[in-house]
Amino acid sequence: MQCREFQLNLSAWMEGEAASGAPAHLAACAACRALVADLEAIRTSAGDLAAVESDPPRHLWASLRAQLESEGLIREPAHAGGLAGFFTFFPRPALAGAYLSLVLACAVFVGMQTRPRVEVAAVHPHGLPAVIATVEPQHSEVEQRTLRAMHEHNPAVADTFVRSLFQVDNFIRLCEKTVREQPGNDLAREYLYAAYQQKADLLAVIAERGAMGD
Amino acid sequence: MIRPIPFAAAALLLAGALPVSAHRIEKSFKVETQPVVTIRNASGKINIHPWQKSEVRVVADHTSEKVETYAEQMGNRVDVVTHLLSEKVTPPELRADYDITVPAETELQIRTDAGTVVVKGITGDMTFDTVAADVTLEEVAGFLVFKTVGGSLDCTRCAGRIEANSISGNIRLTQPASATVRAQTYSGSLFFDGDFKRGGIYILKSVEGPIEVRFSDDDSFALNASSVQGLVENQATLRQPSHRRASRAGVSNRLLGNVNEGLARVELFSFSGTIRILRRQ
Repeated sequence: MQCREFQLNLSAWMEGEAASGAPAHLAACAACRALVADLEAIRTSAGDLAAVESDPPRHLWASLRAQLESEGLIREPAHAGGLAGFFTFFPRPALAGAYLSLVLACAVFVGMQTRPRVEVAAVHPHGLPAVIATVEPQHSEVEQRTLRAMHEHNPAVADTFVRSLFQVDNFIRLCEKTVREQPGNDLAREYLYAAYQQKADLLAVIAERGAMGD
Repeated sequence: MIRPIPFAAAALLLAGALPVSAHRIEKSFKVETQPVVTIRNASGKINIHPWQKSEVRVVADHTSEKVETYAEQMGNRVDVVTHLLSEKVTPPELRADYDITVPAETELQIRTDAGTVVVKGITGDMTFDTVAADVTLEEVAGFLVFKTVGGSLDCTRCAGRIEANSISGNIRLTQPASATVRAQTYSGSLFFDGDFKRGGIYILKSVEGPIEVRFSDDDSFALNASSVQGLVENQATLRQPSHRRASRAGVSNRLLGNVNEGLARVELFSFSGTIRILRRQ
C-alpha cells in the first residue's frame, strides 16, 4: 500500500477499520504515522473544544505544510527571506494555529461523529490538499455563525471581515489556478502558501473577536 | 501570575477602578517612568498625546447606557476598557471615545475594532490591533506593530522598527526615520516616502494593491522588486550587483540592482499590483 491509498482509507482507519495492507504501511511510513498521530491528538482534544486556547502541537502545522508540499502546491522556499512569512500577522501566531487546530478538530471530530466515512484524506479534484478541503465546509459554518452574531451589533466590523475573507479566498483560488497553470512558478507557490496562512490568521481574528464579551 | 497587593494599595486601586455612571469620566493615575497603557475599545475615537507629568489622564466619553468605560491601574500599567453591558447594542450605542494624556515615554497597546486612533509625540513600543479602525501616528518612536483587517495606517515621521499588516487598508509611511520596515497589505496601497538608512531593511508587499516608493539620488540601496502579474515602473538607475545581473530602468515585472553602493536592502513584492520606484521631486 502506498501513502495515497492509505490516506484514502484514513477515515476508516481512524474509525478502527484497517484496510488490507494499512497496518504494514503505517509501520513502514513515518509521514503517515505522524498524520495519524496528529488526528488522534485532535480527536482526543476535540472533546474540550471550549478550552482550546493553547498552542497546537508544533508538528500539526508541520504536517499540514508537509501535506501541502506533497500535493505539490507549495515548496520549501529556495532561499531565506523572500516571501517567507508573507502575509502573516506574526510568524505562525499561536492563536491562528490554535484556530486552525480548532477548525481541524471540528472537521475531523464532527465528521467522525456524524458521517460513516469522512473523506479526511481524499484528494481534491483540483489538487487542493485534502485536510484543507475537508476543513472548508466546517469552518465556513463556524465563521458564518460568528459573523452573523457580530453583524447584529457591529455591522461595519462584520462587513470588514466578510470583505477580507472574500479577498483572501479569491486570492487562494487565483494562486491555485496560477500554480496549476505554471507549476514552475515558485513565487506563486509562495503566495499560495502565504494565503493559506493568512486565511488561518483571519479566521483566528474572527473567532477571537466573536468570542469577545466585553 | 497574580501577586498579592497590600490592602491600602488594593483599596486605592479598587477606588480607581470603580465604574462611573456618568457618561463622561476623567481619571488620573500617577505612574513611574515608561508606563504601559493598554486600551481595549469596540468603536470610537482614541486620541493619545504626551505631557511632561508622570501621570496618565484618561477622559472617556460615551452616550449609551449599554456600555461603560473602565480604567484601572496595576503597578506601572494603566488598563482602559470599554465593557458591553448588554448583548443587544446598536453601532451608535457601542461607541466610546477616549482622550488620553500620557508621559512622553509610554508603551501603548491598543486594540479597537472600529473608529480612529491618533497618537502624537510618544516614544515607546506600540501595538495596534484593529479590525476596521484607521490609525494615524505622528512623530512617534519605538517598535511599532500595526495589525489590522481593513484599517489603514498613516505614519508621519515615525522612528524605530515598523511592522504593518493589513488586508484591505492602505499603509502610508511618510518621512520615516526607520532602519527596519516591513509592511504588507492585500488590496490596499503601500506608500513609502523617506530615506533608506544605510544597512536598513525595507520590505513592502502587496497582493493586488499598488506599491509606491520614493527615493532620492543620495539614497543607497539594493533593490529587489518583482510582481507576478503586475508591472514594475522604475526611475532609479540601477547598477549591477556583484552577484547578479542588474535590470535597466523602465518597465518590467522584475527588477534587481543597486542604487549607489546598495547599502540598504529594499524588497518590493506584489502579485498583481503595480510597483513604482519613483525619484522624489
